[in-house]
Amino acid sequence: MDEIDIESAINDVDIDNDEEVQLSLPEIIQLMEENWLNEKFSPEVLPNRMDIVELLLDQITTLENNLKKLSNADFKKGLYQMEVDRIRFLISSYLRKRLEKIETYSTVILEQEKSRVQQGSETYLSQNELEFAQEYDQSIREHFESIMRFCPGITETQLINPNLHTMVFLKSKEDIEGIVIDDGNDENDLIDLNKGSQVLISYKSVNNFVKSGNVHLI
Amino acid sequence: MFAEKACNLIKELSRCEEVLPPYHTELVKEVCTEIKQLHEQNKEDGAIVANESSIAGYANALYPTLRIGSSAVKRNVRCLLAYHYNRLKTLRTMRWEFGSILPQDIKTNLSSDEIEWFTKYSRSFAKYMTSIGENGLNLCLDLRPPKSLYIEVKCLMDYGKFELSDGTILLLKKDSRHYLPRSECEELITQGVFQHIV
Repeated sequence: MDEIDIESAINDVDIDNDEEVQLSLPEIIQLMEENWLNEKFSPEVLPNRMDIVELLLDQITTLENNLKKLSNADFKKGLYQMEVDRIRFLISSYLRKRLEKIETYSTVILEQEKSRVQQGSETYLSQNELEFAQEYDQSIREHFESIMRFCPGITETQLINPNLHTMVFLKSKEDIEGIVIDDGNDENDLIDLNKGSQVLISYKSVNNFVKSGNVHLI
Repeated sequence: MFAEKACNLIKELSRCEEVLPPYHTELVKEVCTEIKQLHEQNKEDGAIVANESSIAGYANALYPTLRIGSSAVKRNVRCLLAYHYNRLKTLRTMRWEFGSILPQDIKTNLSSDEIEWFTKYSRSFAKYMTSIGENGLNLCLDLRPPKSLYIEVKCLMDYGKFELSDGTILLLKKDSRHYLPRSECEELITQGVFQHIV
């Protein structure tokens, strides 16, 4: 039987991405986990990490092909299959969470994306997500219009906005100084975070740090 | 009282969360008529208030009526839209559970607009799923974090032959029990062919 070293496949896959940073599979998985948690706990949709998702999907395909060559009796096969299933859950759950937010806040998100394009900054949604969001928004709009057709002249649009003041738990990855706690008063308090410290804080105060990856939500 | 019927629509929603009651055509129609009447009334009152411009707007005797009328319209519209929006939400959850084909008993509870919306949603959702990665990814699977590779399932109906991905063919009979890879039977569980025995 061919000796297929899946272990080494799992541990030392080097992937070159555009920035020429070499990441091993465990590191990618960890990144994915972090982004998944961020997405799960943040009230608004975050910049997409389709790059990681695609890398992982490629890896899953490779791993599954390798697994097929292993005999069914091999004890290791079950363990690796389980690992592959776990990764797939991670990706699915991440994308599902994003879709859920896109559907709920479709109108607001589309507007934000438009202004991001105008400012020339990077869009948060991937191309496919954007298409989905547009189709979804359109379909809801048409449905509402057909309900209101009986009485022209009444226009009613209700925007659903994410609540950015939700409290989130976060863990800091670096020392950060001077986070402004905006509690609606004129006096703003400043706090400093040490590396590894965990706090409960309003999402609005830290959203930039979440997006830049200096802190992650737990 | 204004908006009472619209309120009944909302009550109906909250009574049956997660299931779709029949589309309440009559009540919706009644609410629409109420909105229309109020809207017409408001227009007339508005015109009168505007004509008597010698009296300042808020001092006009009709002003409170106008205010109440317009907020009644707003409230009605809100309730009407909320009723429809929440039905769509439930419908969306069903797309995730049952796939693109709805069971007949649910279909009979929908309005024609809702069926149309479902087809549209189903199409864009399917398009999105095939666009992920190279081969697409079925987001309706892997709904819960995997705990074990194999699970025990009980077959609830005579399903017939079922081929596993490694080529083994199983005969699924009612009340038979199987010990299968989780990934293989997840779809049959959501379809209601299998019951997961914990």
